[in-house]
Amino acid sequence: MPQVGDLRAKMSSLLEALNKWLCGPITVMEVCGTHTVSIFRSGIRTMLPKDVRLLSGPGCPVCVTDQAEVDAMVSLAKKPGVVLATYGDMVRVPGSCGSLAEARSCGAEVAVVGSAIQALALAESMQDKEVVFAGIGFETTAPATAVLLREARRKNVKNLSVLSLHKLVPPVLRLLASDPTLVIDGFLLPGHVSTIIGTAPYAFLAEEYGKACAVAGFEPLDIMAGIVEIARQICGGRPAVRCLYGRVVRHEGNVKAQELLGEVFRPASVRWRGIGVVEASGLVLADDYSDFDAYSRFGITLEEVNPPAGCRCGDVLAGRIAPLECPLFGGSCTPQFPVGPCMVSSEGSCSAYYKYSSKGVSPWGA
Amino acid sequence: MGRLSLGHGSGGRLTNDLVKKIASAFARESGMLEFEDCALLPGGWGVTIDGFTVSPLSFPGGDIGKLAVCGSANDLAVRGVRPLWLAMSLLAEEGLDEEELFTYMRSAASVCAELGVQLVAGDTKVLPKGQADRLYIATCAMGKNEAISPWGIKEISPGDTVIVSGPVGRHGAVIASLRYDIKLRELESDCAPLWPLIEPLTRLLGVHAARDCTRGGLGTVLCEWAEVANVGIEIDEEAIPADGDVSAVSDILGFDPLYLACEGTAVFAVASEWTETVLETMRSHPLGRSAAAIGKVTEAHPGLVGLRTSAGGMRVVDMQGGELLPRIC
Amino acid sequence: MAVPHKVVEIMDENRALVSTGGVELEVRTDLIEGLQVGDVVLVHAGFVIEKYNQDEGEELESLWEEVMQFASGR
Repeated sequence: MPQVGDLRAKMSSLLEALNKWLCGPITVMEVCGTHTVSIFRSGIRTMLPKDVRLLSGPGCPVCVTDQAEVDAMVSLAKKPGVVLATYGDMVRVPGSCGSLAEARSCGAEVAVVGSAIQALALAESMQDKEVVFAGIGFETTAPATAVLLREARRKNVKNLSVLSLHKLVPPVLRLLASDPTLVIDGFLLPGHVSTIIGTAPYAFLAEEYGKACAVAGFEPLDIMAGIVEIARQICGGRPAVRCLYGRVVRHEGNVKAQELLGEVFRPASVRWRGIGVVEASGLVLADDYSDFDAYSRFGITLEEVNPPAGCRCGDVLAGRIAPLECPLFGGSCTPQFPVGPCMVSSEGSCSAYYKYSSKGVSPWGA
Repeated sequence: MGRLSLGHGSGGRLTNDLVKKIASAFARESGMLEFEDCALLPGGWGVTIDGFTVSPLSFPGGDIGKLAVCGSANDLAVRGVRPLWLAMSLLAEEGLDEEELFTYMRSAASVCAELGVQLVAGDTKVLPKGQADRLYIATCAMGKNEAISPWGIKEISPGDTVIVSGPVGRHGAVIASLRYDIKLRELESDCAPLWPLIEPLTRLLGVHAARDCTRGGLGTVLCEWAEVANVGIEIDEEAIPADGDVSAVSDILGFDPLYLACEGTAVFAVASEWTETVLETMRSHPLGRSAAAIGKVTEAHPGLVGLRTSAGGMRVVDMQGGELLPRIC
Repeated sequence: MAVPHKVVEIMDENRALVSTGGVELEVRTDLIEGLQVGDVVLVHAGFVIEKYNQDEGEELESLWEEVMQFASGR
């Protein structure tokens, strides 16, 4: 990490570079929730020129977990004898009738894990319980769930199953890029997802849709360099997919992880909260692993749940409106009592606006 | 009204709201409670009470016994009150090892000895197996106000310098590490009695307020100050004393060190012309060796805490929203 | 989330101990081939997902230099 004094100087020189390259207003979507958090936490939004508009995309796993999926998790947790294991991110997310946190306060067993593999140890140590791992997240966390499943099968663990809620990034990007009503000039592409899938799966964004793209890491310098690169592509008229995170992203990605994903999962069309059904954008268990499928073990079917009235998360996620333009923002929808997905996770764009820009009225800008 | 969640106990916004609701039930007799760690009573006495639950009971740098005495003694100290007397109540679970209990009592006693605090009242309850998590301790501490000028949120005024006594988040990072299987080679909880650091400050005129940054961390304390005193606060991320291992733990779990608990680190609001004197006085004590001025109180943006980031941007620091949970994404 | 960790011990076929500063973490290595003590790795949700093939500071430095270079060409 560069020295801090140095960092401020380098950031401001990057800003100058950005100003040189800008040829008009541009809209850039940071796809990944970790980028969103890093951007807010480092105050990058308050530094950018007015002509650069940043949108927070659908890359926050918690935000895009559909209400019906949350409901499935909560109802599983409430079943006697079931321990619902999942990542901490998911615990406060409200479903139609309460969150996992609320279920827990009424006696449901919810185990917060930092790694999917911990669900295996949990199952082995609680032979009299059914442990269900709710796997959320994108291509980055799905391989960990795959390892969990492979290990569970190898060890013949019977009291473990997986509720796969994993989603894939490229299909939803295609949906956004192809929507003529959206104005997105460039994508800041997720660093860790790219570590797994490589850079090739994004090629269509530049080739078919003319979008400027940069894969970037999560340090403020990574992000700022990514924004400058996108501005350079847009204003130079040469959209491409440029990788600025070469220290851990290979062109071909992590092949071993990809193979594992192929073995354990198969793609399926799934519903994204606020966005709708996206073709081949989710991962469900492959037939070989159907014994571990929580959907069939507990007879779960996902019903379509209507989004809460007035909630415009779909428009926020897609970049049609800014969080502050949603009528519910900061009123009936707050991080303590979130209505929609964007307010739910600490990475959601509404939550970040609320938290880091003081309900959107920050004297320093959002 | 809903049900209590763990978030209501995490020291942030939910705790704040809950405490306000409870206080309002007592408002007729008690008036509006002040948002302070310790109450100043007529005659120059200060009193505070605190409950301690920590899992595990013993951790690098301390245990529940040390924590219980430090916690309530520190609540007195931050208002300039010298801790003198302690009342302690133990709530133990059936089956707790007696020798283990005495280990905690010895470490509590050793902090009392260090501070010259007398244990003057006590109570012991044993609960049936499963009705408590091994051991809880409640302590009530009382002492004499020695500050030559009043210390409290009401005294905070625009222009004041904000000072912290050391690296933030060490206790919270240690406890989180134990909970989430992170091994620490050196990092210890900052759990320590603050009175020896604070005593010399009570003889200075410039201290306006102090607070130990326990649950909710530095971020939550500053938010409370900004809201209750109706002032703005601006701090510089670069100036906040940081511990590399705390940053590493925070990064692994997706936490912000600003919200991690401290148990021997305090924040002060000091009249600007007293900044250097206070810093020098603090730095001459081992607990305050890395004391630093991290920002200032402003007239602008009352109620809000702003942070100049290491990258050079500005952002708002809000109260911790609820239970701290590790994030993976 | 994105901090580089160094491998300090290969525990078995699928587990390693990694460290950053004085903080150590047991991680799974199922997703990576041929890991060795001393390798710098990216850890996500308890799994090593990639080896660093370049120092983070060096890449950031060269990114900055590159941007400054093409900015001066504008």
